[in-house]
Amino acid sequence: MIEARGLTKRYGDKAAVSDLTFTVRPGTVTGFLGPNGSGKSTTMRMILGLDAPTRGDIRVGGRSYAAHPAPLYEVGALLEARSVHPGRSALGHLLALAHTHGIPRSRVNTVVDMVGLGKVAGKRVKGFSLGMGQRLGIAAALLADPATILLDEPVNGLDPEGVLWVRNLLKSLAAEGRTVFVSSHLMSEMALTAEHLIIIGRGRMLADTTVDAFIRDAGLGTIKVVSPEAAQLRELLLRVPGVEAVISPPGTLRVSGTDLEHIGRTASAHRIPLFELTPHSVSLEEAFMELTRDSIDYQATVGSSAVAQQVAQQGARA
Amino acid sequence: MTTVLTPAVAPRAASPYRVTPLRVLRAEWSKLWSLRSTWITLAVASTLVLAFGLLVAANYTPQSDADIDPVQLTLLGAPLAQVVLAVLGVLVTAGEYSTGMIRATMSAVPRRLPVLWAKAAVFGAIALGVLLVTVFLTFPLGQLFLSGTDMEASLGDPGVLRALLGSAVAPALIGVFSLTLGSLLRSVPGGIVTYVGGVTILPEVVRMLPFAVMDDIVQFLPVQAGEALSAVSPDAQLLSPGAALITLCAWVVAGLGAAGLTLIRRDV
Repeated sequence: MIEARGLTKRYGDKAAVSDLTFTVRPGTVTGFLGPNGSGKSTTMRMILGLDAPTRGDIRVGGRSYAAHPAPLYEVGALLEARSVHPGRSALGHLLALAHTHGIPRSRVNTVVDMVGLGKVAGKRVKGFSLGMGQRLGIAAALLADPATILLDEPVNGLDPEGVLWVRNLLKSLAAEGRTVFVSSHLMSEMALTAEHLIIIGRGRMLADTTVDAFIRDAGLGTIKVVSPEAAQLRELLLRVPGVEAVISPPGTLRVSGTDLEHIGRTASAHRIPLFELTPHSVSLEEAFMELTRDSIDYQATVGSSAVAQQVAQQGARA
Repeated sequence: MTTVLTPAVAPRAASPYRVTPLRVLRAEWSKLWSLRSTWITLAVASTLVLAFGLLVAANYTPQSDADIDPVQLTLLGAPLAQVVLAVLGVLVTAGEYSTGMIRATMSAVPRRLPVLWAKAAVFGAIALGVLLVTVFLTFPLGQLFLSGTDMEASLGDPGVLRALLGSAVAPALIGVFSLTLGSLLRSVPGGIVTYVGGVTILPEVVRMLPFAVMDDIVQFLPVQAGEALSAVSPDAQLLSPGAALITLCAWVVAGLGAAGLTLIRRDV
């Protein structure tokens, strides 16, 4: 269980995280979403006490992280930035962490095998691929059998097989009753892994919702119908239970709970002309981008008039 | 198939694990030895002292105006070893920041200060151990070449044993001091430059300033206090051995205090 109350972190004038209040519950995977630079990593560092909040507080298992007698038993974390000395072997790294808590060597071997690093455990981390580095980070996170697992962009650099492995691992950890808090900037990945979503942009809370509710609110699976007799068609469609239809703007129906064929046949049977009948094709990713569009720090502006002018000027000079 | 909607969250058993100061010490011990750079640095420091000592002793020809004592002569390589150990001291702390390891370290021990104490203790003990072995190997071996010269000396001679012990204690303490510099500056190059520039070169420059008070100040600086500790009969310009030891310890305590304060106040 992670509880943030009014969590705020400022670096000089810039607020990295502003007044975040949320609870991450055990037993489910909670996705932590936001564009790059939205404050996800800062929030994760504050959970671990690496960064101190400017205001507000964040507790894990009812206390601040540092107040636990065995912090790694409370929270296991994989941070986005590498947190390993490249000159040490994977085994050496994990053993050093294990020593601080009195974790036996047998447990170190268990997590090494669990993440599939058995063959390279004695090799220096220097030669590891990004994916192997991520696996080592996950091994470190699982080392002390923690109640809460915190993973910052865990699938970065993993091959498809590795991505699937992480996805299943997270679900099984949650099914064991653990709190699983995993950040990503990819909505599509989170939709496959998480049940609950916390979405932030520019350090502010944008949504604290479930994946199902997010998909429903995004209007996925709706059908757009353009007809001069939209109101009449709506009445007809609503006779079937479960169908929802709204008119916006006038002349356009947005229908859910039925399919193209039913709408087409209903219109035809009542001689209602249709100008357009299309499935609404917004993807989950587009819905996420729509939500976070105003809060992206480093927006690509190619195509905007300013850039076009600049390019034209440079062209003229050349 | 049944779907568990809300997985039963059983109250967790009390942790079978616990962070203790002794375990943090154990972890820092294993961290230091699991890096190749530690072995190399310690071997280099030890070899420098031994090689220089034997080279100088084997080629020694008595000079009437010798401004040097037997311990200083056989341990002519000690200042070089001191620089090498200071670099290792900086690496022990600042190296964790440059690699990112500090995030893993401070996540495991979020109270932070035990890590600094453990690093200082482990590094200090290892540096002292290696130096003691090196010094007490180099001196008798060097003396094999020096018997019959004005540089002949034995452990029983006045001041010799103390100077030998001082030659091991001083670089170890200065190494711990540079470890605190690494922790304060969080940068390997920054720590090394500060050590070489501020601790070894600056005092020599200051001493050349035409003010008598400068000599009084300089004798209290770490390297000069270390010199006083390592000489059989210290220079009149330097502190007495006892005062030098206290001065060096004060530098280490001040360094640890400043590093500790920064460590708990600043974000990792």
